[in-house]
Amino acid sequence: MKTEVKQENNSTIIDVSGSVDALTAPELSKILLGQIADGHANLVVSLLGVEFMSSAGLRTLLGAVKEARSSGGDLRIASANPGVDKVLKMSGFHNIAKVYASQAEAVSSFG
Amino acid sequence: MASTDRIARAAHLEALKDFREFIKEHCAGQPGVTDEILYDVQLAVDEACTNIVSHGYADLDPGSIILDVEVEPEKLTVTLTDFGHSFEPHSAPLPDVDAPIEERELGGFGLFFIQQSVDEMDYQVTEDGNKMTLTKYLMKPVGGENEDGSETGK
Repeated sequence: MKTEVKQENNSTIIDVSGSVDALTAPELSKILLGQIADGHANLVVSLLGVEFMSSAGLRTLLGAVKEARSSGGDLRIASANPGVDKVLKMSGFHNIAKVYASQAEAVSSFG
Repeated sequence: MASTDRIARAAHLEALKDFREFIKEHCAGQPGVTDEILYDVQLAVDEACTNIVSHGYADLDPGSIILDVEVEPEKLTVTLTDFGHSFEPHSAPLPDVDAPIEERELGGFGLFFIQQSVDEMDYQVTEDGNKMTLTKYLMKPVGGENEDGSETGK
């Protein structure tokens, strides 16, 4: 798994690629929670480059959504590929967090 | 004709990637194995192996996880064998995927994802280890008898 962090407009983009499984999810969690702790609570997590995600990745995202919201921000997902999107849908993630087709849409949703 | 293959790894999370790649190497390109089916089986195996590493071998030295993959014309069957603690798959609590975020538990999705991703799940505790067998039926060829997309009576 690789991550790239950049600021754009009113949000922080975390571009994730590779696999998010039980081995790598703790690293992603550390990055997301670290950004929130640093005052960047408007997060866009771009999953376009993620080829595989298990429930460990989902758990990480759910935890970070809760944390971002309790800090006055939000975590929004961009660009999930079909396999990853199925995992999000299976878990009902679409009902509790915002998922956008592209990174640009997710970034502009923060205004 | 069926083809089978086997991989064995010590029960560490580092092995998850090896198992996923093994499934891909063995199944990708086989007739009826779509990208979606491949992902579903990789996901189910990943979740099952994570459970074995985290719970099966909890408080034990990590033993092995053996993965057997069998591809037949109608189905793909994977069997995971481990020698750790067994579990009762039907008594494990399932997550409430309709709950609002305030009430969401963060865990508990592993077994649920296995059940959602494959067509059949069987779990047996045997003298030769704990065996979880996962079966995924393959896509039938388009244009087969009674497979023209018309609805059949139930």
